[in-house]
Amino acid sequence: MGQNVANHASHDDQRTRVAVIGTLAEFHREPIPYNLGALVRLVSELRPDLLCLDLTPEKWQRGDFDGLPPEYREALLPLSHQTDIVVVPIAGQHPPAEPTAGGWRGRAIAVLRRWLAYLQRTAPNPAAVVEGPRHHLADLLYEAMAWLAGPETYRAWKAHTDYLSRQVLEVARRDPGRRILVAVNLRHCHHIRPALARHPGIRVVPYTQL
Amino acid sequence: MPGTMADTHLVIFAHAALHREAWRALLSGQPGIRLAGAAGDLAAVTSFLPAGQPGAVLVDQSPPRPDLVRRLKAAVSDCGLLLLVNTYDLGEVIPLLQAGATGCISRDSPVGDLARGIIAAGRGEIVLPPAIAGRALAALARGESVGEPGAGSVADLVEPLSDREAEVLRLLAQGLTNKDMAQTLVLSVRTVEAHLRSIYGKLGARSRTEAALWAVKHGHGLPE
Repeated sequence: MGQNVANHASHDDQRTRVAVIGTLAEFHREPIPYNLGALVRLVSELRPDLLCLDLTPEKWQRGDFDGLPPEYREALLPLSHQTDIVVVPIAGQHPPAEPTAGGWRGRAIAVLRRWLAYLQRTAPNPAAVVEGPRHHLADLLYEAMAWLAGPETYRAWKAHTDYLSRQVLEVARRDPGRRILVAVNLRHCHHIRPALARHPGIRVVPYTQL
Repeated sequence: MPGTMADTHLVIFAHAALHREAWRALLSGQPGIRLAGAAGDLAAVTSFLPAGQPGAVLVDQSPPRPDLVRRLKAAVSDCGLLLLVNTYDLGEVIPLLQAGATGCISRDSPVGDLARGIIAAGRGEIVLPPAIAGRALAALARGESVGEPGAGSVADLVEPLSDREAEVLRLLAQGLTNKDMAQTLVLSVRTVEAHLRSIYGKLGARSRTEAALWAVKHGHGLPE
Protein backbone atom coordinates (compact mmCIF):
# COMPACT_ATOMS: atom_id res chain seq x y z
CA MET A 1 0.00 0.00 0.00
CA GLY A 2 2.81 2.38 0.89
CA GLN A 3 4.42 1.64 -2.46
CA ASN A 4 1.23 2.74 -4.20
CA VAL A 5 1.24 5.97 -2.29
CA ALA A 6 4.85 6.52 -3.27
CA ASN A 7 4.06 5.91 -6.92
CA HIS A 8 1.47 8.67 -6.91
CA ALA A 9 3.68 11.26 -5.29
CA SER A 10 7.33 10.98 -6.09
CA HIS A 11 8.46 14.46 -5.02
CA ASP A 12 8.73 15.48 -1.41
CA ASP A 13 6.37 18.42 -1.76
CA GLN A 14 3.80 16.24 -3.52
CA ARG A 15 3.63 13.75 -0.70
CA THR A 16 0.40 13.43 1.20
CA ARG A 17 0.72 15.55 4.30
CA VAL A 18 -0.85 14.08 7.39
CA ALA A 19 -1.20 15.67 10.80
CA VAL A 20 -2.52 13.65 13.72
CA ILE A 21 -4.07 15.57 16.58
CA GLY A 22 -4.93 13.89 19.84
CA THR A 23 -7.95 14.81 21.85
CA LEU A 24 -9.35 14.04 25.26
CA ALA A 25 -12.78 13.96 23.75
CA GLU A 26 -14.36 11.78 26.40
CA PHE A 27 -13.76 14.46 29.02
CA HIS A 28 -15.42 17.29 27.18
CA ARG A 29 -18.57 16.68 29.18
CA GLU A 30 -16.68 18.08 32.14
CA PRO A 31 -16.02 21.78 32.71
CA ILE A 32 -13.06 22.94 30.63
CA PRO A 33 -11.44 26.34 30.46
CA TYR A 34 -12.01 26.63 26.71
CA ASN A 35 -15.09 25.91 24.68
CA LEU A 36 -15.44 23.80 21.58
CA GLY A 37 -15.36 26.97 19.54
CA ALA A 38 -11.59 27.00 20.06
CA LEU A 39 -11.33 23.57 18.47
CA VAL A 40 -13.56 24.69 15.60
CA ARG A 41 -11.32 27.70 15.00
CA LEU A 42 -8.19 25.54 15.09
CA VAL A 43 -9.49 23.06 12.49
CA SER A 44 -11.18 25.80 10.48
CA GLU A 45 -7.85 27.58 10.14
CA LEU A 46 -6.08 24.35 9.15
CA ARG A 47 -8.83 23.62 6.62
CA PRO A 48 -7.69 20.10 5.73
CA ASP A 49 -8.93 18.39 2.56
CA LEU A 50 -9.88 15.27 4.47
CA LEU A 51 -10.70 14.86 8.15
CA CYS A 52 -10.32 11.33 9.48
CA LEU A 53 -12.45 10.66 12.56
CA ASP A 54 -12.73 7.65 14.85
CA LEU A 55 -16.29 7.02 13.79
CA THR A 56 -17.79 3.94 12.16
CA PRO A 57 -18.97 4.27 8.54
CA GLU A 58 -22.37 2.94 9.60
CA LYS A 59 -22.88 5.67 12.18
CA TRP A 60 -21.72 8.23 9.64
CA GLN A 61 -24.09 7.03 6.93
CA ARG A 62 -27.02 6.91 9.34
CA GLY A 63 -26.19 10.35 10.69
CA ASP A 64 -26.33 8.74 14.12
CA PHE A 65 -24.13 11.06 16.15
CA ASP A 66 -25.85 10.74 19.54
CA GLY A 67 -23.24 8.52 21.13
CA LEU A 68 -20.27 10.50 19.84
CA PRO A 69 -18.17 12.77 22.04
CA PRO A 70 -19.24 16.42 21.96
CA GLU A 71 -15.94 17.23 20.31
CA TYR A 72 -17.10 15.39 17.21
CA ARG A 73 -20.84 16.00 17.50
CA GLU A 74 -20.80 19.67 18.35
CA ALA A 75 -17.57 20.88 16.79
CA LEU A 76 -15.94 18.90 14.00
CA LEU A 77 -19.01 17.41 12.29
CA PRO A 78 -20.94 20.72 12.04
CA LEU A 79 -17.77 22.43 10.80
CA SER A 80 -17.20 19.85 8.09
CA HIS A 81 -20.87 20.00 7.11
CA GLN A 82 -20.70 23.65 6.13
CA THR A 83 -17.20 23.75 4.68
CA ASP A 84 -15.21 21.81 2.06
CA ILE A 85 -13.71 19.52 4.69
CA VAL A 86 -14.64 15.94 3.79
CA VAL A 87 -15.17 13.58 6.72
CA VAL A 88 -13.69 10.11 6.47
CA PRO A 89 -15.00 7.67 9.08
CA ILE A 90 -12.07 5.38 9.87
CA ALA A 91 -13.26 3.23 12.78
CA GLY A 92 -13.92 -0.47 12.40
CA GLN A 93 -17.24 -2.16 13.06
CA HIS A 94 -16.77 -2.68 16.78
CA PRO A 95 -14.54 -0.12 18.48
CA PRO A 96 -13.38 -1.36 21.91
CA ALA A 97 -15.03 -0.13 25.08
CA GLU A 98 -13.15 2.04 27.58
CA PRO A 99 -10.81 -0.05 29.79
CA THR A 100 -12.41 -1.38 32.97
CA ALA A 101 -11.42 -3.95 35.57
CA GLY A 102 -12.48 -5.25 38.98
CA GLY A 103 -10.75 -4.89 42.33
CA TRP A 104 -7.64 -2.78 42.81
CA ARG A 105 -7.07 -2.55 39.07
CA GLY A 106 -10.48 -0.98 38.63
CA ARG A 107 -9.80 1.50 41.41
CA ALA A 108 -6.43 2.35 39.85
CA ILE A 109 -8.11 2.93 36.47
CA ALA A 110 -10.63 5.24 38.16
CA VAL A 111 -7.76 7.25 39.68
CA LEU A 112 -6.00 7.51 36.32
CA ARG A 113 -9.22 8.65 34.69
CA ARG A 114 -9.51 11.43 37.27
CA TRP A 115 -5.97 12.50 36.40
CA LEU A 116 -6.89 12.53 32.71
CA ALA A 117 -9.95 14.62 33.46
CA TYR A 118 -7.75 16.98 35.48
CA LEU A 119 -5.37 17.34 32.51
CA GLN A 120 -8.34 18.24 30.34
CA ARG A 121 -9.82 20.66 32.86
CA THR A 122 -6.57 22.52 33.31
CA ALA A 123 -5.65 22.74 29.62
CA PRO A 124 -5.66 26.41 28.63
CA ASN A 125 -6.55 25.68 25.01
CA PRO A 126 -6.90 22.74 22.56
CA ALA A 127 -3.25 23.04 21.50
CA ALA A 128 -2.16 22.12 25.03
CA VAL A 129 -3.86 18.73 24.62
CA VAL A 130 -3.06 18.24 20.95
CA GLU A 131 0.69 18.27 21.68
CA GLY A 132 3.24 19.00 24.42
CA PRO A 133 3.86 17.64 27.93
CA ARG A 134 0.17 17.34 28.83
CA HIS A 135 -0.38 15.31 25.67
CA HIS A 136 2.50 12.93 26.46
CA LEU A 137 1.47 12.48 30.08
CA ALA A 138 -2.10 11.70 29.05
CA ASP A 139 -0.80 9.13 26.59
CA LEU A 140 1.11 7.40 29.39
CA LEU A 141 -1.99 7.38 31.58
CA TYR A 142 -4.05 5.80 28.81
CA GLU A 143 -1.34 3.21 28.26
CA ALA A 144 -1.38 2.36 31.95
CA MET A 145 -5.18 2.11 31.97
CA ALA A 146 -5.15 -0.34 29.07
CA TRP A 147 -2.43 -2.39 30.80
CA LEU A 148 -4.39 -2.45 34.06
CA ALA A 149 -7.50 -3.63 32.24
CA GLY A 150 -5.68 -6.79 31.13
CA PRO A 151 -4.09 -8.24 28.00
CA GLU A 152 -7.36 -8.69 26.14
CA THR A 153 -8.29 -5.02 26.48
CA TYR A 154 -4.73 -3.98 25.71
CA ARG A 155 -4.74 -6.05 22.50
CA ALA A 156 -8.18 -4.77 21.52
CA TRP A 157 -7.01 -1.15 21.78
CA LYS A 158 -3.79 -1.97 19.93
CA ALA A 159 -5.81 -3.62 17.16
CA HIS A 160 -8.10 -0.60 16.99
CA THR A 161 -5.13 1.75 16.65
CA ASP A 162 -3.63 -0.45 13.93
CA TYR A 163 -6.96 -0.41 12.10
CA LEU A 164 -7.13 3.38 12.27
CA SER A 165 -3.57 3.60 10.86
CA ARG A 166 -4.43 1.28 7.97
CA GLN A 167 -7.55 3.28 7.17
CA VAL A 168 -5.60 6.54 7.05
CA LEU A 169 -3.11 4.88 4.71
CA GLU A 170 -5.96 3.73 2.50
CA VAL A 171 -7.35 7.29 2.40
CA ALA A 172 -3.90 8.57 1.35
CA ARG A 173 -3.64 5.86 -1.31
CA ARG A 174 -7.06 6.70 -2.81
CA ASP A 175 -6.48 10.44 -2.84
CA PRO A 176 -2.74 11.12 -2.85
CA GLY A 177 -1.18 14.53 -2.46
CA ARG A 178 -3.95 15.92 -0.26
CA ARG A 179 -3.85 17.38 3.23
CA ILE A 180 -5.22 14.95 5.79
CA LEU A 181 -6.01 15.74 9.39
CA VAL A 182 -6.59 12.83 11.75
CA ALA A 183 -8.46 13.82 14.92
CA VAL A 184 -8.60 10.90 17.33
CA ASN A 185 -8.24 10.26 21.03
CA LEU A 186 -4.63 11.02 21.93
CA ARG A 187 -3.96 7.42 23.05
CA HIS A 188 -3.68 6.55 19.32
CA CYS A 189 -1.40 9.39 18.21
CA HIS A 190 1.93 7.94 19.28
CA HIS A 191 1.24 4.74 17.34
CA ILE A 192 -0.44 6.21 14.27
CA ARG A 193 2.25 8.81 13.56
CA PRO A 194 5.19 6.36 13.27
CA ALA A 195 3.02 3.83 11.40
CA LEU A 196 2.22 6.47 8.78
CA ALA A 197 5.72 7.93 8.69
CA ARG A 198 7.12 4.57 7.51
CA HIS A 199 5.41 5.05 4.15
CA PRO A 200 7.41 7.03 1.61
CA GLY A 201 4.40 8.73 0.05
CA ILE A 202 3.33 10.25 3.36
CA ARG A 203 4.84 13.12 5.26
CA VAL A 204 3.70 13.28 8.87
CA VAL A 205 3.78 16.90 10.02
CA PRO A 206 2.86 18.82 13.16
CA TYR A 207 -0.64 20.19 12.78
CA THR A 208 0.71 23.73 12.53
CA GLN A 209 2.54 22.75 9.33
CA LEU A 210 -0.34 21.01 7.64
CA MET B 1 -0.53 26.78 5.06
CA PRO B 2 -0.06 26.15 1.35
CA GLY B 3 -2.84 24.63 -0.68
CA THR B 4 -5.77 25.62 1.46
CA MET B 5 -8.98 26.71 -0.18
CA ALA B 6 -9.61 30.43 -0.57
CA ASP B 7 -12.50 31.97 1.30
CA THR B 8 -15.62 32.77 -0.69
CA HIS B 9 -16.25 36.51 -0.88
CA LEU B 10 -19.89 37.12 -0.17
CA VAL B 11 -22.07 40.10 -0.96
CA ILE B 12 -25.56 40.28 0.46
CA PHE B 13 -28.18 41.84 -1.74
CA ALA B 14 -31.30 42.93 0.13
CA HIS B 15 -33.39 46.04 -0.21
CA ALA B 16 -34.16 46.48 3.49
CA ALA B 17 -31.31 47.73 5.68
CA LEU B 18 -32.50 45.68 8.62
CA HIS B 19 -32.36 42.49 6.53
CA ARG B 20 -28.85 43.33 5.39
CA GLU B 21 -27.73 43.83 8.96
CA ALA B 22 -29.35 40.57 10.04
CA TRP B 23 -27.59 38.62 7.29
CA ARG B 24 -24.34 40.32 8.10
CA ALA B 25 -24.63 39.34 11.76
CA LEU B 26 -25.54 35.76 10.87
CA LEU B 27 -22.89 35.11 8.23
CA SER B 28 -19.87 37.19 9.18
CA GLY B 29 -18.36 34.53 11.45
CA GLN B 30 -18.93 31.50 9.25
CA PRO B 31 -15.82 29.49 8.27
CA GLY B 32 -14.88 29.70 4.60
CA ILE B 33 -16.89 32.86 4.00
CA ARG B 34 -15.55 36.40 3.90
CA LEU B 35 -18.29 38.98 4.03
CA ALA B 36 -17.31 41.56 1.43
CA GLY B 37 -20.33 43.79 1.87
CA ALA B 38 -24.07 44.23 1.84
CA ALA B 39 -25.91 46.24 -0.76
CA GLY B 40 -29.39 47.38 -1.59
CA ASP B 41 -28.69 48.36 -5.17
CA LEU B 42 -26.93 46.81 -8.14
CA ALA B 43 -24.16 49.37 -8.48
CA ALA B 44 -22.89 48.74 -4.97
CA VAL B 45 -22.71 44.96 -5.49
CA THR B 46 -19.91 45.12 -8.05
CA SER B 47 -17.79 47.43 -5.92
CA PHE B 48 -17.64 44.87 -3.11
CA LEU B 49 -16.37 41.92 -5.12
CA PRO B 50 -12.61 41.63 -5.74
CA ALA B 51 -11.67 40.38 -9.20
CA GLY B 52 -10.32 36.86 -9.54
CA GLN B 53 -11.65 35.62 -6.19
CA PRO B 54 -14.46 33.12 -5.78
CA GLY B 55 -17.50 35.22 -5.08
CA ALA B 56 -21.17 34.80 -4.41
CA VAL B 57 -24.13 37.09 -4.04
CA LEU B 58 -26.90 36.08 -1.66
CA VAL B 59 -30.11 37.58 -2.96
CA ASP B 60 -32.86 38.24 -0.45
CA GLN B 61 -35.85 39.33 -2.48
CA SER B 62 -39.33 37.94 -1.96
CA PRO B 63 -40.32 36.56 -4.35
CA PRO B 64 -37.06 36.50 -6.36
CA ARG B 65 -37.61 37.83 -9.87
CA PRO B 66 -35.80 36.60 -13.01
CA ASP B 67 -35.32 40.15 -14.31
CA LEU B 68 -33.31 41.08 -11.21
CA VAL B 69 -31.25 37.90 -11.61
CA ARG B 70 -30.50 38.83 -15.23
CA ARG B 71 -29.35 42.30 -14.22
CA LEU B 72 -27.22 40.93 -11.39
CA LYS B 73 -25.71 38.31 -13.69
CA ALA B 74 -24.81 41.01 -16.20
CA ALA B 75 -23.19 43.07 -13.45
CA VAL B 76 -21.22 40.25 -11.77
CA SER B 77 -20.95 37.56 -14.42
CA ASP B 78 -18.15 35.66 -12.64
CA CYS B 79 -20.01 35.32 -9.36
CA GLY B 80 -22.48 32.75 -8.19
CA LEU B 81 -25.98 34.00 -7.48
CA LEU B 82 -27.77 32.23 -4.65
CA LEU B 83 -31.42 33.11 -4.19
CA LEU B 84 -33.52 32.68 -1.09
CA VAL B 85 -36.86 31.06 -1.89
CA ASN B 86 -39.89 30.18 0.18
CA THR B 87 -40.35 26.81 -1.51
CA TYR B 88 -38.55 24.75 -4.11
CA ASP B 89 -41.27 25.16 -6.71
CA LEU B 90 -39.87 24.09 -10.10
CA GLY B 91 -42.12 26.66 -11.79
CA GLU B 92 -40.26 29.31 -9.85
CA VAL B 93 -36.80 27.73 -9.78
CA ILE B 94 -36.36 27.00 -13.50
CA PRO B 95 -36.94 30.59 -14.71
CA LEU B 96 -34.42 31.74 -12.09
CA LEU B 97 -31.83 29.23 -13.32
CA GLN B 98 -32.52 30.27 -16.90
CA ALA B 99 -32.00 33.89 -15.91
CA GLY B 100 -28.57 33.06 -14.52
CA ALA B 101 -29.11 32.01 -10.91
CA THR B 102 -26.56 29.51 -9.64
CA GLY B 103 -28.97 28.04 -7.16
CA CYS B 104 -31.75 28.54 -4.68
CA ILE B 105 -31.95 27.84 -1.00
CA SER B 106 -35.01 27.66 1.20
CA ARG B 107 -35.57 30.21 3.91
CA ASP B 108 -36.19 27.25 6.21
CA SER B 109 -32.64 25.93 5.75
CA PRO B 110 -30.25 25.64 8.70
CA VAL B 111 -27.37 28.11 8.77
CA GLY B 112 -24.87 25.33 8.00
CA ASP B 113 -26.70 24.48 4.78
CA LEU B 114 -26.82 28.15 3.83
CA ALA B 115 -23.08 28.52 4.45
CA ARG B 116 -22.16 25.51 2.35
CA GLY B 117 -24.58 26.69 -0.35
CA ILE B 118 -22.81 30.06 -0.46
CA ILE B 119 -19.41 28.36 -0.80
CA ALA B 120 -20.72 26.09 -3.57
CA ALA B 121 -22.41 28.98 -5.39
CA GLY B 122 -19.12 30.88 -5.26
CA ARG B 123 -17.63 28.08 -7.35
CA GLY B 124 -20.49 28.19 -9.82
CA GLU B 125 -22.08 24.95 -8.64
CA ILE B 126 -25.80 24.37 -8.94
CA VAL B 127 -27.15 24.75 -5.42
CA LEU B 128 -30.43 22.93 -4.96
CA PRO B 129 -31.48 19.90 -2.93
CA PRO B 130 -30.43 16.87 -5.02
CA ALA B 131 -34.00 15.71 -5.68
CA ILE B 132 -34.98 19.16 -6.97
CA ALA B 133 -31.71 19.65 -8.84
CA GLY B 134 -32.16 16.38 -10.72
CA ARG B 135 -35.68 17.36 -11.77
CA ALA B 136 -34.62 20.88 -12.68
CA LEU B 137 -31.77 19.57 -14.83
CA ALA B 138 -34.10 17.06 -16.47
CA ALA B 139 -36.58 19.86 -17.23
CA LEU B 140 -33.82 22.04 -18.63
CA ALA B 141 -32.47 19.16 -20.69
CA ARG B 142 -35.94 18.55 -22.19
CA GLY B 143 -35.65 21.81 -24.03
CA GLU B 144 -36.02 24.58 -21.53
CA SER B 145 -32.28 24.84 -21.93
CA VAL B 146 -29.92 27.50 -20.59
CA GLY B 147 -27.36 26.58 -23.24
CA GLU B 148 -26.64 23.86 -25.74
CA PRO B 149 -24.20 21.21 -24.60
CA GLY B 150 -21.30 21.08 -26.99
CA ALA B 151 -20.81 17.34 -27.29
CA GLY B 152 -22.98 14.73 -28.97
CA SER B 153 -23.24 11.09 -28.01
CA VAL B 154 -20.98 8.97 -25.86
CA ALA B 155 -19.43 7.57 -29.02
CA ASP B 156 -18.45 11.11 -30.07
CA LEU B 157 -16.16 11.61 -27.09
CA VAL B 158 -12.56 12.28 -28.02
CA GLU B 159 -11.45 10.18 -25.08
CA PRO B 160 -13.67 7.86 -23.03
CA LEU B 161 -14.46 8.75 -19.45
CA SER B 162 -12.67 6.78 -16.76
CA ASP B 163 -14.77 4.84 -14.27
CA ARG B 164 -14.22 7.53 -11.65
CA GLU B 165 -15.13 10.30 -14.11
CA ALA B 166 -18.31 8.47 -15.08
CA GLU B 167 -19.15 8.26 -11.40
CA VAL B 168 -18.52 11.97 -10.89
CA LEU B 169 -20.61 12.77 -13.99
CA ARG B 170 -23.49 10.69 -12.64
CA LEU B 171 -23.43 12.65 -9.39
CA LEU B 172 -23.17 15.92 -11.29
CA ALA B 173 -26.26 15.01 -13.28
CA GLN B 174 -28.08 14.32 -10.02
CA GLY B 175 -27.39 17.91 -9.03
CA LEU B 176 -24.84 17.31 -6.29
CA THR B 177 -22.39 20.02 -5.32
CA ASN B 178 -18.65 19.32 -5.40
CA LYS B 179 -18.65 18.88 -1.64
CA ASP B 180 -21.54 16.39 -1.78
CA MET B 181 -19.77 14.45 -4.55
CA ALA B 182 -16.55 14.47 -2.56
CA GLN B 183 -18.30 13.23 0.56
CA THR B 184 -20.15 10.54 -1.40
CA LEU B 185 -16.95 9.28 -3.04
CA VAL B 186 -14.80 9.93 0.05
CA LEU B 187 -12.40 12.07 -1.96
CA SER B 188 -11.27 15.62 -1.41
CA VAL B 189 -13.10 18.48 -3.10
CA ARG B 190 -9.90 19.27 -5.02
CA THR B 191 -9.85 15.78 -6.50
CA VAL B 192 -13.48 16.08 -7.56
CA GLU B 193 -12.67 19.43 -9.18
CA ALA B 194 -9.80 17.81 -11.09
CA HIS B 195 -12.14 15.07 -12.34
CA LEU B 196 -14.68 17.70 -13.40
CA ARG B 197 -12.07 19.64 -15.38
CA SER B 198 -11.13 16.46 -17.17
CA ILE B 199 -14.80 15.65 -17.83
CA TYR B 200 -15.47 19.12 -19.27
CA GLY B 201 -12.51 18.66 -21.60
CA LYS B 202 -13.65 15.26 -22.81
CA LEU B 203 -17.25 16.40 -23.33
CA GLY B 204 -16.29 19.71 -24.89
CA ALA B 205 -18.52 21.38 -22.31
CA ARG B 206 -17.93 25.05 -21.57
CA SER B 207 -19.58 25.04 -18.18
CA ARG B 208 -20.81 22.90 -15.36
CA THR B 209 -24.41 23.33 -16.49
CA GLU B 210 -23.56 22.18 -20.01
CA ALA B 211 -21.84 19.09 -18.67
CA ALA B 212 -24.75 18.36 -16.33
CA LEU B 213 -27.31 18.75 -19.13
CA TRP B 214 -25.23 16.53 -21.40
CA ALA B 215 -25.15 13.91 -18.67
CA VAL B 216 -28.90 14.08 -18.07
CA LYS B 217 -29.63 13.81 -21.80
CA HIS B 218 -27.40 10.77 -22.06
CA GLY B 219 -28.86 9.00 -19.05
CA HIS B 220 -25.97 9.52 -16.66
CA GLY B 221 -28.19 11.01 -13.98
CA LEU B 222 -29.99 7.80 -13.17
CA PRO B 223 -29.28 6.36 -9.73
CA GLU B 224 -27.15 3.20 -9.71
